[in-house]
Amino acid sequence: MTDTPTTGSPQPEATAPATQAPSRTCRACGTANPAESSFCEACGADLVVLNAPAFPGGTAGDLAGGAAADGTAVSDGTLLASATPQTAPAGEESPLDVGWTGAVPSAVVPPAPADDDLLCRVCGQGHIVDGYCDQCGSPPPDPRDHFAEAPAAWVGGVCDIGRRHARNEDAMSLSATEAPGSRAVLVVCDGVSMATDSHIASLAAAKAARSVLDQPFPKGVGTPDAWAAAAGRALTVAVASANEAVAECVHEDVPNPPSCTIAAAVVEDDVVVAGNVGDSRVYWLPDASEQPALQLGRDDSFAQEQMVAGVPRVEAENGPHAHSITRWLGKDAPDDLTPHLTTLQATPGWLMVCSDGLWNYCSEAEDLRTLLREAAARLQQSGAHESGAHESGAHESGAHESGADESAAHKSGAGDPATRAINASTAAGTTATPTPTALAQALVDFANEQGGRDNITVALARLAGRGSTTSEATAAAAPMEGDPIDG
Amino acid sequence: MADFTAEVFQNEFLPDGGTDVHAIVRVTSTGASAGASGAGAVGLADPGSAAEVILIDTSGSMGRRGVAAAGEAAKAALAEIVDGTLFSIVSGNGTAQIIYPYSHQGALVPMSSHTRGEANRAIEGLRANGGTAMGTWLTLARQIFETVPHVTKRHAILLTDGVNEGETPASLQAAVRSCVGAFQCDCRGVGDQWRVDEVRGIASALLGTVDLIPAPEEMAAEFRSMMRASMSRGIASSELRVWVPQGAELLFVKQVSPTLEDLTSRRTAVNPLTGAYPTGAWSDESRDYHVAVRLPARTLGQEQLAARVQFSLGGDPVAQALVKAKWSNDDSLTTRIDPAVAAYTGQAELATVIQEGLAAKAAGQDDVATSKLGRAVQLAGMTGNDEMTSRLRKVVDIDDADTGTVRLKKGASKIDEMSLDTASTKTSRVRR
Ligand SMILES: [Zn+2]
Ligand SMILES: [Zn+2]
Repeated sequence: MTDTPTTGSPQPEATAPATQAPSRTCRACGTANPAESSFCEACGADLVVLNAPAFPGGTAGDLAGGAAADGTAVSDGTLLASATPQTAPAGEESPLDVGWTGAVPSAVVPPAPADDDLLCRVCGQGHIVDGYCDQCGSPPPDPRDHFAEAPAAWVGGVCDIGRRHARNEDAMSLSATEAPGSRAVLVVCDGVSMATDSHIASLAAAKAARSVLDQPFPKGVGTPDAWAAAAGRALTVAVASANEAVAECVHEDVPNPPSCTIAAAVVEDDVVVAGNVGDSRVYWLPDASEQPALQLGRDDSFAQEQMVAGVPRVEAENGPHAHSITRWLGKDAPDDLTPHLTTLQATPGWLMVCSDGLWNYCSEAEDLRTLLREAAARLQQSGAHESGAHESGAHESGAHESGADESAAHKSGAGDPATRAINASTAAGTTATPTPTALAQALVDFANEQGGRDNITVALARLAGRGSTTSEATAAAAPMEGDPIDG
Repeated sequence: MADFTAEVFQNEFLPDGGTDVHAIVRVTSTGASAGASGAGAVGLADPGSAAEVILIDTSGSMGRRGVAAAGEAAKAALAEIVDGTLFSIVSGNGTAQIIYPYSHQGALVPMSSHTRGEANRAIEGLRANGGTAMGTWLTLARQIFETVPHVTKRHAILLTDGVNEGETPASLQAAVRSCVGAFQCDCRGVGDQWRVDEVRGIASALLGTVDLIPAPEEMAAEFRSMMRASMSRGIASSELRVWVPQGAELLFVKQVSPTLEDLTSRRTAVNPLTGAYPTGAWSDESRDYHVAVRLPARTLGQEQLAARVQFSLGGDPVAQALVKAKWSNDDSLTTRIDPAVAAYTGQAELATVIQEGLAAKAAGQDDVATSKLGRAVQLAGMTGNDEMTSRLRKVVDIDDADTGTVRLKKGASKIDEMSLDTASTKTSRVRR
């Protein structure tokens, strides 16, 4: 959610400090309860059951049943692809704490067991009998409320409603070719809340932009400059196309026409081009600590203007109107929609595209890199623990490269994100490595634990820095910082 | 085969923090009429699965003329009873006696031209004598029905002309309670010496109607139509089931059409979240129910099921309506009151103020009576209930209907007050 100046009022939520007394929010009624509560003070719901990882809201895969596992389109058009499981070639494992060992099976959501299909995801006790739960009366969650995409093993993302909003107005659209670092498109759009049908507009925008960016960039004369120019033109066209898609969502004149932000990144042979309009962001988070973590591009927001005027980031981003954006896509969009463009030669690291639902709780690029590392370490730890339990079996079968079998066995387990993350990470073998989707889910979980005051989208691409795999990270090409195209 | 439908009229939108959901659920049956039941009809194609008991007041106050008229009315009712239906006639005063069938025939006999003739002759022998103890009549009726436990549709007609005085109110109450669920009972009072609230209490508890018969000569027509209505009911018994979500409070369940009846206290638990409310026998008809639920408020934009209202036969739901709640910050959605909910809420208030106004008047509290009946005049005017306005006009002089300014009419007849009282719970159906 993001305000435009046209909507006027600042978001009271956004001004609340990121650090709050720990609380346990009831997923049944939304009431914040003390952290130690077992039952909701407002509605009496069992918070232990409700807030267990099994109930973070449905996933597209769950609701689509077996269809999603085959990579077929689910009802909302989201494509969930399954990648061919593989282990990293020797020498490609990263020694770093946010390390990468190569492609692992994507975290495709396993279909829920048939007898559990109708279990209510709000109360966890009743079943959906006539469109509503027979215990708590809740309808099943909209697949849009929580979905994950993993177009290739090195690219994945999670889009989540958060804890306070009734509708997920964030949208995400990802694509990738199989070979790590070869080609990927990551688009995140954030619908402006209080505008009509912003959830429809944001998804249309993300898909429109992605379909433009899916076309390979013209090679031109083959120089980096020529590539950057072509990539910049493509991103500008993609933003224009997304803008048209948003405008087409309204058939008649509504007082609050839908609008949204856009942040997109394209990876082509380990070179990155990123662009944005509004306050959704692209971050580059290299593994090597001596390389700076960066926000690529800049926000079109009141807070950004404040910072340019010298107000410190923390103050600017928590001040009044901080979330008012100064540019957006939509029928009432400003004339100049040229995205803030950045190109970058990747070293080993993570490319992230996210909505303010995440960065509200962790804005500085360096802090975000730390957060990502910690999340990866946690996933790695639980993955290592988990893989230990299965180690003997894998050895007995003598099938270290039989990742497919092993992952299939793991995937038949519970469908909650934590388990998915563990399963996905163990599937690579004895070296536990989080998938982009698992890591994205961990960051979404972080934002929800901080209060989940907004919709949250996190898309990640793992980049190995092609041609530098045998070198030290420091020997890899340094990123080309700044806004070389945008100016 | 009978078909049932359930429709819901409500405004599902609640404002931020809103908790109370009101809905009107309309249950309509087709093919439930006994006359209409052809091949494949349920249950009552066999008249032997129905039993009728006619309870006639033969207290001294009825007098020769009253008992003769009651006898003619009973004969008119007998003429309507379908052959094969079990029946019995009870004469009641300070005690109760079966006057037909004869004792060697048992408590009930199947209707035939022969038994109808015998019953008509037995009626000729009725004489007015003694007091009025309706509890004993009802108890005897229950005992009669208990001799045929396999009979599912059990109906009685009770006629009285006076106040229950041969027994304590507590003993009448106990008798009524013992009859709940055993049979349904339509009650009629003749003349102006009976008490509407007393007889209404019996009819209400036993899922029947109550009405006033102003003069003895009108009894036959009333009995004929009552018995005809009973014969037409092809569904023996039914219930309304209301589910509310965990943590919700069911504020009330009321039948609001064709008559007002608060069912809230009649709940029996089906499970912790579901209550059943008996709704008796059905013909081809339509009844409206007002359900009110209090929910813990959810966040704006959330949706929740507030109630499942099912109509069920023999424990099987045959129709269901879903009452919903959606929280919205759009005032244009949340401030609208559903017209059916508004109309029935108005009619329920109208009934309440009429009954309270008449009770105050009877107790000599003229100020209270004037204010209550004034409000009634105002409500009747607002809801366009012309019939009620004209009934009120016989009891009060209306100075200004809009403000509800009235004066108690001097010399208003008791019968007009009683007819206003009995009419108060009859509602006019809200069209969708
Ligand atoms: Zn709660
Ligand atoms: Zn539930």
